Amino acid sequence: MFKYTIRRLAQMIPLLFLVSVVIFTLLSLQPGDPLDAVRMADPFMTAEQFQALRRAHGLDQPIYVRYFRWLGRLLQGDLGPSRTYGMPATEFIFQQRLPNTLLLTVTALLIALSVAIPVGIFSAVRQYSKADYTVTFLAFVGLSTPNFFLGIVLMYLFVIFLPDTLGLPQLPTGGVPGVFWEDVQAGFITAGQFFGQWAIHMILPVFTLATGAMASWTRFMRASMLEVLNQDYIRTARSKGVYERKVLYKHALRNGLIPIVTLVGLSLPGLFNGALITETIFSFPGMGRAIFESLMQKDYNVAMAALVFLAVLTVFANLLADLVYAVVDPRIRYD
Amino acid sequence: MARLALVMVTLALLGLALAGPADNSLVIGTSQEPPVIGGDPHGVVATAAIASEIELYLVSGLYRMDINGQLQPNLVTEVATVENGRLRFFEVADGQQRLEIDLTLRDDIRWSDGVPITTEDVRLWYETGTHPDMPVASPDFYRRLSIEFHDARNFTVIMEPAQSSDLLGSPAGTLPAHVMRTAWEEARATADATPDPVRKTEIFRAFFARFSSAEAINQRRMVYSGAFVPTRWAPGSSIEMVRNPHFHLHPENQQNYVQRVTYRFITDTTALFIAIMGGGIDATSSVALTFDQALSPQLTARAPGRFDIWFVANPVWEQLAINQFSQVQQVSDLRLYDVRTRQALLHAVDRQALTDALFEGLQPVAHTNVPPAHPFFNPDVVQYNFDPERAAELLAELGWTPGPDGILQRTTEDGRTVRFEIEFVTTAGNAVRERQQLFIAEDWRRVGIATRINNAPAGTVFASAYINRASEGSWTGVFMHAWVSSPAAIANAALYICTAIPTADNAFAGQNTGGWCNPEYDAARNQAIREFDLEAARPLYWRMQELFAEGLPALPLIFRSTPLVTRVGLVNFVSNTFNNGFGYPPPEPWLVGWAARGAVQVYDQADFATRLVR
Repeated sequence: MFKYTIRRLAQMIPLLFLVSVVIFTLLSLQPGDPLDAVRMADPFMTAEQFQALRRAHGLDQPIYVRYFRWLGRLLQGDLGPSRTYGMPATEFIFQQRLPNTLLLTVTALLIALSVAIPVGIFSAVRQYSKADYTVTFLAFVGLSTPNFFLGIVLMYLFVIFLPDTLGLPQLPTGGVPGVFWEDVQAGFITAGQFFGQWAIHMILPVFTLATGAMASWTRFMRASMLEVLNQDYIRTARSKGVYERKVLYKHALRNGLIPIVTLVGLSLPGLFNGALITETIFSFPGMGRAIFESLMQKDYNVAMAALVFLAVLTVFANLLADLVYAVVDPRIRYD
Repeated sequence: MARLALVMVTLALLGLALAGPADNSLVIGTSQEPPVIGGDPHGVVATAAIASEIELYLVSGLYRMDINGQLQPNLVTEVATVENGRLRFFEVADGQQRLEIDLTLRDDIRWSDGVPITTEDVRLWYETGTHPDMPVASPDFYRRLSIEFHDARNFTVIMEPAQSSDLLGSPAGTLPAHVMRTAWEEARATADATPDPVRKTEIFRAFFARFSSAEAINQRRMVYSGAFVPTRWAPGSSIEMVRNPHFHLHPENQQNYVQRVTYRFITDTTALFIAIMGGGIDATSSVALTFDQALSPQLTARAPGRFDIWFVANPVWEQLAINQFSQVQQVSDLRLYDVRTRQALLHAVDRQALTDALFEGLQPVAHTNVPPAHPFFNPDVVQYNFDPERAAELLAELGWTPGPDGILQRTTEDGRTVRFEIEFVTTAGNAVRERQQLFIAEDWRRVGIATRINNAPAGTVFASAYINRASEGSWTGVFMHAWVSSPAAIANAALYICTAIPTADNAFAGQNTGGWCNPEYDAARNQAIREFDLEAARPLYWRMQELFAEGLPALPLIFRSTPLVTRVGLVNFVSNTFNNGFGYPPPEPWLVGWAARGAVQVYDQADFATRLVR
């Protein structure tokens, strides 16, 4: 396994180099120039002045010159400044946006797992019962309801309808709270108030994001448990009089979790690239929106930083999923 | 400062529960978040409409523009005029003029930390903007600008060659020298020491970002000259501002007026819509709801007693640019270069029915590019009212006859039979524009004109390699988009001059994307931009509008209106077409308040906009 791991790590380097070339080329092939809007806004800008601006932003260079300039800076740990915000792209991505995204996606993942696993087991154990049919129905509703629709409906319910009809307090329509950790350190608010504000702001976007995963993983868990529960060794354990709880949680669950472990491993990159639709609906300043906006605004440094980071994560996540799979299932061995 | 921070945090925690009259605050909802604010006057880091609007609260110009579009003194003692001797013109070479503007700063103006505002602050603004390597957004302005400083309060701005638009706003600006001078000297020295233009740009951008980013505001790195001071910027959430105790203009009983203003960023307009309905927003900014949302029955049903919905005419002008480059095959086949074709296309569209159907008549039909609110608006131009019979006559004159499928066809000079099928481009994903497009296409179909819709995202169609290459056939028919007819844009009148036609000869620079050229229009324009006497200039601008209407460089559609929602009881949060140049509310931020708190109404939005009544 060690040799396998080293071999995979070594393969990553040329792979990531190739990925960065492809991403950079695709970004550069986007129609339009980042300075188009500036040019359109000033009717008196001469062609010479425009070329000077392009030179000042490095846009007059051939694509390969720009790429190697970017690569050279990357090797020094500098991913360049954001053209939109003027701050370093790394600061924008890793200090401003990534923590928000991790908070949203990890919370959604944990909630999805904490619901999907027990409900999936429950549904599998009570196959074809009314409870199973109910769970199946709800799972399909969750799977087929688009995120953007669910988010808007929830927003309407908890911002207008329920406060109006039942007098419930309004939930925020999105965004992040206007309090900082520095406020806690300065003693203006307590940690409880700080986390409470964040919790209130996260309710709707987390639930919106978790619903699809909850529904999907419930179905996977159910199918996986059903397959395991029909195995001979489970039948043997039952016929030997082993308590049903022990049959489920000691013998069946570990094998039933294998596909879920793989799914969660493969979803790790998704934790970091955010959830564009959810973030858009709830105006949540996360990675998904950052990537989308950087592409729309042709903020190449931010786009490259985010996309290359995701490429690295994807490759690592694949490796991690393979390794965990081997740990969980002793039948799997890598040379 | 600690106490202020405690207050801000407490209010943030309490959220909107105490918003509005209860705590004398104002919450403004907007669908954009600025990238930077307050410390980037040259647009080096970024430019954004919402940043310009928020800066109305934070930054005082030498002049300000009042609700009627007239210049008033702000940081200076008086507006420079010929009558008061502060404005002088000199003839220089080639019929151009040199403009000298003498200005005197008021002696009671302070930055928000109490330090007096002096010519040293103007000097810093000037040095940063005119540095040869500074990537400013409007290089031509700084190329023509120079300033002579006389003492701590007096200076002279010189524009050479001068243009009439130079008198439409503040001729210079300020940056706090006592805060930014040291950092500027370091940045300049570092930039001057490197030969790499990209590195210079990064140094200068980083310099301005240091004083205009969210971090700059939260760390209190900057000072401000406006009526309000930003105290907190939570990226992705809001910017909060409180009254600037050192601001020099105050209403009587200032405590009766809004003490805290919060801009809430809700980038999804549906979420913003819900927030307004839920009562969490006191007013909307100039970039907030869409037109449809403002007209929606859900909002209008909830409005009575809660908020007012206004439609303010704005200077944005929706039009169909039309390719008139005869070397392009499709243009030649359809004879789009012939004014009769353009007249026929316009006669065939019922623009009044379009605005009635899609906008409840709240966006007026345009006949030229000058909005009715502008002092140079000419009401007596040729108008192309809906007249399909006249359209058919004109097309018949050009040799078009109905084909077997009802679409017009003609035989070209080289013997080909061509159908009248015109390419129609606009921004994909803009639902309002796409509806307008279908409406127009249907009107054209009725007179035998087929339409080939070819939409693409804004980033694609507005790329200069697309929009500016009509001469090479990048787009071959009509292109629906908007221009901003701001006072400066109208004064410059550069949109349809011959030298602004993008061709290979000028590296495809210019905004006259359709290629219309009228020497008489150019002559009137070239004379107008050098005419600083408004009464003498008026006939020139009128003549240009006549020539526009006769020659149709583009097909005018409508002038847009901005929906504005304000909570009942809010006073002086008003907007007008050219408010602050672009219709941003309010004209005087220090007068915004709640009637219930004793704020006195000075401006009535009803005088400047249409209230939606159901």
